[in-house]
Amino acid sequence: MSGLSNIKSHIQTFLKEIGELSYFTARFFKESFRKPFEFKEFLRQCYSMGNRSLVLVGITGFIIGLVLTLQTRPTLMEFGAVSWMPSMVGISIIREIGPMITALVCAGRIGSGIGAELGSMRVTEQIDAMEVSGTNPFKYLVVTRVLATTFMIPLLVIIGDAIGLYGSYLVEHLKGDVSFQLYFNQVFESLEFGDIIPATIKSFFFGLAIGLVGCFKGYYCGKGTAGVGRAANSAVVFTSLLLFIIDFIAVFAADIFYDL
Amino acid sequence: MNTNSQKIRLGLFVIIGTLFFVLGIYLIGQKQNMFKKTFMISAEFQNVNGLQKGNNVRYSGINIGTVKAIEMLNDSIVKVEMNIEENIVKHIRKNAVATIGSDGLVGNMIINILPRDGIAGVIENGDMIKSFSKVEPDDLLSNLSVTIKNTEILTEDLLRITNSINNGKGSLATILNDTVMSSNLNQTIKNIKQVSENASNTLIELNGLVKSIKTDDASILGLLLNDTISGNKLKITLGNLESSSVKMENSVEKLNTIIENVNSSDGAFNYIIKDTSLVNSLKSTLRNVNEGSDKFNQNMEALKHNFLTRGYFRKLEKEERKAKDN
Repeated sequence: MSGLSNIKSHIQTFLKEIGELSYFTARFFKESFRKPFEFKEFLRQCYSMGNRSLVLVGITGFIIGLVLTLQTRPTLMEFGAVSWMPSMVGISIIREIGPMITALVCAGRIGSGIGAELGSMRVTEQIDAMEVSGTNPFKYLVVTRVLATTFMIPLLVIIGDAIGLYGSYLVEHLKGDVSFQLYFNQVFESLEFGDIIPATIKSFFFGLAIGLVGCFKGYYCGKGTAGVGRAANSAVVFTSLLLFIIDFIAVFAADIFYDL
Repeated sequence: MNTNSQKIRLGLFVIIGTLFFVLGIYLIGQKQNMFKKTFMISAEFQNVNGLQKGNNVRYSGINIGTVKAIEMLNDSIVKVEMNIEENIVKHIRKNAVATIGSDGLVGNMIINILPRDGIAGVIENGDMIKSFSKVEPDDLLSNLSVTIKNTEILTEDLLRITNSINNGKGSLATILNDTVMSSNLNQTIKNIKQVSENASNTLIELNGLVKSIKTDDASILGLLLNDTISGNKLKITLGNLESSSVKMENSVEKLNTIIENVNSSDGAFNYIIKDTSLVNSLKSTLRNVNEGSDKFNQNMEALKHNFLTRGYFRKLEKEERKAKDN
């Protein structure tokens, strides 16, 4: 009986959290179109999220491109299809690996950062102080951060894709003596708008999810330092899970729209 | 915290990201001829083999455009519209032919536009060019399967034949395995060689003969072959011979009737031939005549020895001897 009630309470907690997140999301959209716009804070967040993540995303993308090519090369050589490498790596990085890896890295770096930052602000009652002082903490803290992730993640994804393709090109150039022009010519030969547009749209949703979940977890943080830690942790875990769900939905939708 | 350097770096980041995005979009669009002035031409096919919108169109192996639309006109004809780069259009003639092929063994389908011989004007916007369906891989494979079955049967038969040859069955095996036969064959071939040598010698001699006949008018054959006067004479002779034979035939016919008459009639001749008593009396008469002539000879001998006539007979002998000496 206690087990059943345990499950019941878990389900209730989960549903409550979903409901709260939905409400939080609705509030975000409502607040983001309402004056005054915290433009300076938005730019500051863009800088700290975009520029500061660039190195991490760049290294990850580069290694992913490199490793993907190195791992696939022997198999493709077996079939005598090494010339298909640019097309294969291009499509896999642009469509799936680039957005997904970048989003996961950013969920780890940005999502947890937002969760911890807002959580500690909540714990130290800074948010309450802002409310008292007449500043809208939701607008200043949440809207700017979520907008920043929403716009920065797609840019990071695109740059990460480019660096990843360059990493792949380096392997091909060193092992197969393929010129830069030939490699990228073949990559874009095989790509279509149906590859790049859904991936970019998907990236916006990834950014939105990272910002929203991070802010949500931090904004409604539990009490004490343990609460801050939990907020940061659950922000990463929940964001990662949500990213895969969004990815699935996005691929499904793209499949229908582009008839792939 | 909002320092100028931060703003600059953020701006740089955003610009680089946007540039990559725009570049990617542009490059993909360029591959699909979205930013070039294009020309529209079309072709009708019975089977497009999985061709899709956006597939490449090639002219002499160069990518010159993409498939814009694929439309079913009726139950068997598919119309394919193609966007062609404007700067290449001046090279395409109206008699060009479109075929559907594949880009590599497992690649995308493409449309190949092939130039044709002959004089034709430059293609115009909206023109329809002829299409040509190649042999499809499916047909090829089904034909191949029949061939493979036949090959299987053939190889089985071959195996049986080679087995029986190896086991010494049949005349082929004898030929292959029998050493005596091979030596015989060898000998036969030698003989054939000898015969052929002889034959060639004979031929050479014959050749010479024929030549000499041709050149030598003195020989009979040469005369026959080359001399037109002799030929004419021969012709006349043959004509005479013919008329003679006709005459002879007539004579023979007449003789025949005579003989028939002799046989059948009661004439004297018949009587003479058939009457045996007459023959007997004739025989005795002839005997008497013989006896008479013998006695006459004796009388003549006696006359030679008679002194009255001896001089005459000696004179005769002398004249005879003179004639012999001369």
